Amino acid sequence: MFRFIKNSRKILGMNSRNLKYIRPNNRKKAIRLADDKILSKRVLKKGGIPVPDLLAKISSHKELDNFDWSKLPSGFALKPNRGLGGEGILVVYGRKKGWDDAWVKADGSIITIEDIKNHIRNILDGNFSISGEGDIAFFEERLRLLKLFKTYAYKGIPDIRVIVFNKVPVMAMLRLPTKESGGKANLQQGGIGLGIDLATGVTTTAVQGKSKIVEYVPGTRLLLSGIKIPYWKDILELAVKAQEISGLGFLGADVAIDKEKGPVFVEINARAGLSIQIANLAGLRGRLERVEGLKIKTIKRGVRVGMDLFGGEIEEELEEISGRRVIGTVEKVKLIGKNGKEVEVEAKIDTGAMSTSIDVELARELGFEEALNYFEKIEFPQNFSREDAAKIEKELRKKYLTGHSDLDNINIVYSSHGVSIRPAIKINFIMDSLIIPASVNVIKREELKFQAIIGKRNLGRFLVDVNK
Amino acid sequence: MHPIINYFVHQGVPLETVILILMFPIIATIIAFFRQVFGIKAFGIYTPMIVTLAFMAMRINNNNGFSGVKYGTIIFISVIIAGMIARYLLKKLRLLYLPRVAITLTIVSFAILAILVFGGSLQRTGLASVSIFPLLIMIAIVEKFVATQIEKGNRTAVLLALETLMISLVCFYLVGLNIIINMIIYHPWVVLLTIPINFFLGKWTGLRFSEYYRFREVFKGM
Repeated sequence: MFRFIKNSRKILGMNSRNLKYIRPNNRKKAIRLADDKILSKRVLKKGGIPVPDLLAKISSHKELDNFDWSKLPSGFALKPNRGLGGEGILVVYGRKKGWDDAWVKADGSIITIEDIKNHIRNILDGNFSISGEGDIAFFEERLRLLKLFKTYAYKGIPDIRVIVFNKVPVMAMLRLPTKESGGKANLQQGGIGLGIDLATGVTTTAVQGKSKIVEYVPGTRLLLSGIKIPYWKDILELAVKAQEISGLGFLGADVAIDKEKGPVFVEINARAGLSIQIANLAGLRGRLERVEGLKIKTIKRGVRVGMDLFGGEIEEELEEISGRRVIGTVEKVKLIGKNGKEVEVEAKIDTGAMSTSIDVELARELGFEEALNYFEKIEFPQNFSREDAAKIEKELRKKYLTGHSDLDNINIVYSSHGVSIRPAIKINFIMDSLIIPASVNVIKREELKFQAIIGKRNLGRFLVDVNK
Repeated sequence: MHPIINYFVHQGVPLETVILILMFPIIATIIAFFRQVFGIKAFGIYTPMIVTLAFMAMRINNNNGFSGVKYGTIIFISVIIAGMIARYLLKKLRLLYLPRVAITLTIVSFAILAILVFGGSLQRTGLASVSIFPLLIMIAIVEKFVATQIEKGNRTAVLLALETLMISLVCFYLVGLNIIINMIIYHPWVVLLTIPINFFLGKWTGLRFSEYYRFREVFKGM
């Protein structure tokens, strides 16, 4: 019970968000800026933050009547200037072929100029605006979907929400549009929110809608955790910079990634939502309290602090659970040869290969010259069939293995280059500070990028993270 | 009776009005409490308050205890249902806001009239004798309801409407209790206690009850 109360103090609720974070940190002027999309776009752009281009704006019915529709590009986003929670946003993907007054929406439906005009009239009348008063409609460049997100996002652009407080990014989530949400990246409408490890930009846990914990993209076996978000550090730096520029002490920054432009700022929010805590399965209040009062001078420093304080848990956690080390696809490996000779090389971690192999020259350098010379003198049978291979291998081993003490084995290796008979030597190597004893095939790899590849047999104590 | 109340009445303010006015702070405090501590939102503070008053007015008008609430609830729910039907009918037409509310109001008015006539045909005269003032209040909810429908969707609107109904019923029963009416008559200064209570609520930063449920998965993960 005591623990429960303690934990409940780590979670940020509506009351404490409004009273302790929004009220004292977000001044009225800054909130007005955040609520005015066209203005905040201009201010951010002036501050050097990339934003989607403003194509046109319509502020009255008269302007609507005189609007030149031909100047719009084939794809655009139409938004209310003071919209709330993504309401009233209309995105079209291209002109309808053969029609000169119609576009195609994300779901394939057709929308005519008359429909768009009606939508704009609704915007002008303030039906989507925060205050309910008259509003301005504006056209904005449509962002193009990043290839990485193609399999995850349903008809829409995912965006990244970063909460920044006191110049430190404290929590982040990736929002994916789904079929249920009709292509909108809005959690309330059934979108998916993915928690993000702040240090690495890799997604962790996921929630769909208000509180359903999910593991896969709905209807698929596509894992939601482990997506590495590109430009991660840039995104965090942009978010902190936006805080500086906007003057919002407690900021919810929405950043999308465009295929060509990279990270672009979609929106700044003065009243960041609380669902981000469910996506991350972590409390925001505890994090905010840890950051409060820190004296952060530069943007880079703020990002560093956020990454250090609220990230890096994934790897540690994985290593804790499995007792295995997490390595990347390329790792530095120290090979220990004869007479204590050590050579460090970059090795490819190849889970497609059974055994580890190194280049002939590398083996010579490590002091296996003699054994290799001995091996080269052996006369091998040529042009044997695959059925006979096992038998020949057995005979060769019987005949020659005792001939030199360094020779550990003789293997017939089938590869894409054909068949070859290779020697194997016993060698220890150190990878990620673990000593691994191995029987290593010696092959010609000089024309290849890596002098060594580490195969499955020697990877039992590791987990491979392809993003690392 | 407290001397001050006595004085008010002697100056010609009806006792019922005095009680009603002194009930305002109490109702408002209850609504604030529901919002800050339980997380029940309803349509702000004005709507549940005025619905509570409508219930009270119906009771006074009917002069028969709690049956006013029964009719009030029936009318409230039919207003909401009519609002939902109107949305369904008007959705495809893509109308501007005010004309849309006007049509919705028309549908709601007809619906209420139909209920009163139907009630009358079943000899439920209580229903038909509901005065016009509470009826107007009920109809006024429609605008709030339609605005929420547009802004936050049908589900949220229905949820908030039901929360409003719930809070209003709770408030209605509480302020109808003899103990509270007596308290106002004999110790009217108690009403001033709502100020410190609201001060405390206004500084309350704990989680709302609804948030313990909302963040249940976060608790599990801790």
